[in-house]
Amino acid sequence: MAVATTPPITAERAAAARRRRGGKVSGGTVAIGIVAWVVGLLFFSPVLWMFLTGFKQESQASTDPPTFFFTPTLDQYRAIFDRDFAPYFINSATASIVSVVLVIILATPAAYALSIARVAKWRDGLFFFMSTRMMPAVASILPLYIIAKNIRMLDNIWFLSLVYTAMNLPIAVWMIRSFLIELPKEVLEAARVDGAKLFTEMRRVILPMIAPGLAATALICFIFAWNEFFFAVSLTATKAATVPVFLVGFITSEGLFWARLSAASTMAVLPVIIAGWIAQKWLVRGLSLGAVK
Amino acid sequence: MATVTYDEASRFYPGSDIPAVDRLSIDVADAEFLVLVGPSGSGKSTALRMLAGLEDVDEGRIRIGERDVTSLPPRDRDIAMVFQSYALYPHMTVAQNMGFALEQAKVPKDQRAKRIRDAAKILDIEPFLDRKPKALSGGQRQRVAMGRAIVREPQVFLMDEPLSNLDAKLRVSTRSQIAALQKRLAVTTVYVTHDQVEAMTMGDRVAVLRDGMLQQCATPLELYQRPANAFVAGFIGSPAMNIREFPVVDGKARIGEVDLPLSREEVQALARDGGDRVLLGFRPESVDLVSRGEGFAVEVRLVEELGADAYLHGKIVGAEHAEADVADIVTRVDPARTPGIGSIVYLRVRPGKEHAFSPKTGLRLG
Amino acid sequence: MAVESEVWVGAAPRRRPEPKRLPTRERWVRRGPLLPALIFAIVLTQLPFLFTLYYSVRERNLLRPGSDRFVGLKNYGKVATDDLFRNAVFNTIKLTVSAVLLSMLLGVALAVVLDKKFLGRGIVRTLLITPFLVMPAAAALLWKTSIFNPVFGLLNWVLSLFGVSNVDWVNRFPMPSIVMVLTWQWTPFMMLIVLAGLQSQSPEILEAAKVDGATAWATFRRITLPHLRQFIELAVLLGSIFIVQTFDSIFMITQGGPGQATTNLPYFIYQKAFRAFDVGEAAAAGVIVVAATIIIATFALRVISGLFQEEA
Repeated sequence: MAVATTPPITAERAAAARRRRGGKVSGGTVAIGIVAWVVGLLFFSPVLWMFLTGFKQESQASTDPPTFFFTPTLDQYRAIFDRDFAPYFINSATASIVSVVLVIILATPAAYALSIARVAKWRDGLFFFMSTRMMPAVASILPLYIIAKNIRMLDNIWFLSLVYTAMNLPIAVWMIRSFLIELPKEVLEAARVDGAKLFTEMRRVILPMIAPGLAATALICFIFAWNEFFFAVSLTATKAATVPVFLVGFITSEGLFWARLSAASTMAVLPVIIAGWIAQKWLVRGLSLGAVK
Repeated sequence: MATVTYDEASRFYPGSDIPAVDRLSIDVADAEFLVLVGPSGSGKSTALRMLAGLEDVDEGRIRIGERDVTSLPPRDRDIAMVFQSYALYPHMTVAQNMGFALEQAKVPKDQRAKRIRDAAKILDIEPFLDRKPKALSGGQRQRVAMGRAIVREPQVFLMDEPLSNLDAKLRVSTRSQIAALQKRLAVTTVYVTHDQVEAMTMGDRVAVLRDGMLQQCATPLELYQRPANAFVAGFIGSPAMNIREFPVVDGKARIGEVDLPLSREEVQALARDGGDRVLLGFRPESVDLVSRGEGFAVEVRLVEELGADAYLHGKIVGAEHAEADVADIVTRVDPARTPGIGSIVYLRVRPGKEHAFSPKTGLRLG
Repeated sequence: MAVESEVWVGAAPRRRPEPKRLPTRERWVRRGPLLPALIFAIVLTQLPFLFTLYYSVRERNLLRPGSDRFVGLKNYGKVATDDLFRNAVFNTIKLTVSAVLLSMLLGVALAVVLDKKFLGRGIVRTLLITPFLVMPAAAALLWKTSIFNPVFGLLNWVLSLFGVSNVDWVNRFPMPSIVMVLTWQWTPFMMLIVLAGLQSQSPEILEAAKVDGATAWATFRRITLPHLRQFIELAVLLGSIFIVQTFDSIFMITQGGPGQATTNLPYFIYQKAFRAFDVGEAAAAGVIVVAATIIIATFALRVISGLFQEEA
């Protein structure tokens, strides 16, 4: 029997029950909450400190004891924009976005080949992929530098994007593969029975279903590309210089201008932090990928 | 004495004013097998979980024996539970699954091993003691889940639809095994199912729930013969009882063109109710095929032949038809002589076999 | 009570039938279009490695133009017998094991905390993932100047409240300093993976444990941790691969020092490449690191698996 409105008498009883129940928030939960907040703030404090220091005068940036109270100023940020920050930002964005797009385009069919359309010895293939990520950037820098020089691709944002693509491909393949194997087989079989050929099957059935997984992978790859320091500094100079290069420029021989550097660092890390905060669910999803086998 | 008492127990859905279980009161006797049955959303699982301590009790009390367990956590209630999905620990062997609770209760190792062996023998799962759940079939896992419960020798067994995940044939055989096991162990058992056949065949008493409220708690026979309201009448028994509204004229219910006399109590109850219609119920097996003039006319719409029985679906001639194409009466007929579709047959309800309910409240009259 | 003899009571489980193979033509139609992408992807990721491999068997020093020639495994020999290389290996192991262990322990603890409901849980989680998002190079600079600085650093300021006087972290405790930074950065990573594991537990199994009389701690130890094993393994594997390659922090904070105290393998390679400009040795060292990483990761996995063996 459907009741359109709950009879008042039940509402009263429910309210009374809630009152009786709601009173007791277990002491354990409160304790956990406190611990969580303390640890959370502790972990966040260095970033907060960097953010605040960007608004200090240089003299307030390094003091003993540290300056907690000060009048904020925009001097440091003005100085940064005077230095023409924008091109660095654009280069970082270009390299990151282009490499992410390339990675997704390449990794998806590769992952598909390693999961659903099971290529023989896929396990070896996967491990093989991952093993290339095990080599530190420093090892390949000179060879890459030499080759880049020879084909005149030094200080070229597209070359850097390509390097980032190669760097992120293994992770992307691993992640996308893990999302693909979670797909219910019956849905794919139904698509085949319905007459879908491979390309249609991919486009109309598979891609929409793993879209969140792709987003998660893209986010992680973006983070890695944006935050990448070594290749950026080694392979670019002026035209293709990215944000990390900009940062390095502040470590001059005159010594550390920490307030200004803080402001610059804040600008450098802000995009990824904001992206990560907003797309938290995707981040979590991406990081826990094929853990749920 | 391990009795179980629900005393005006209620539970509200979290964040809602709607009760999942509404003032439930049931007394389960020691060693009794009580079945909680009802459609989905009736609150039967919630009621069981309240007994287990997995669900808060918002109003009322719950007692096991003389102890009021309403605020006790599950581990202090001395109960064992069989879950619908069996909830076996996937990384432990069968023996470890069965022994886990005993370990928590600090039962010494040799006693543990003995109890596990005995329980495994009863359930015939001795060969599987060293296997992990994923190496077992559904039926085997179900028995392990039961073994995990009986090894604890608790005061009460709780079972939440343990047979739902088994195929039909296995369900039938396991049903009788569980009932026999319960009789042998003589442990109070509260059993939840949505299947009324299970309820009727297994329970000493059956409690029918609907929308969180107890409709009737009685022995299967009593539920069958004297349902307390129209819902219970229609829920218990398969095929379901025919329940329809008929006009009442002169103390008789008018079915088609024939009158069915109502008993005096029924008439008096109707008069008190103040109405000129009655909700009448009669079971397919309480209706006889008669010759013209002795019963009301029914046009045959469908005949189901089941081998041992046949069921005739038809429309009463002369009665109001709410929906044009739906048969409004089902009756059991002799499979050797089934009438053809479209023919007219004459049916009569065996006197005294009708159930009268109030059209307004659904409650039994008389 | 005798169980009715059903077909499958006590019957030996049948062997799983071989997975049906699609007819050959069908297979190629399905996989054909994928091959180019797969091959291209493989080639692209292998290219840097192949370049490095190529140069690792050649002797070439950028300071001496025209010195390029094939020398076989000579570079590998030089690197392997280099004391500084061995030092870098030990440092890398110390660093990786410490950082992975600490961040995993913290990660598990924080995941357990974040699994419970409390006021502002979402905000705390947001705060906790931030270290992972910050550019490691910027973070390293931040730690060096704002936190570790003996005079102006926050860490010493906090410690001074407890009566501990100026500690020169970077020079006196270089390894712990780096480990601190790495733990700070990687705990969110471990935490998120373990949290996913915690939230993927079956609620009915947890309830069964409750009914079986397990305390919260017993449930965690006997039911939750075994379930978390595969998540922890994944996190450790992935985390190790990345942490072995730590470069930004060492470059920014200690420059491998004092002396060679915090020179790990990547920084060792960097020195070979950008101080000595010895392309060949640097490349050879790089190839050795790949092999070493694989070994470390496998070793770590085996240790973890051992920890989770259920007692009979």
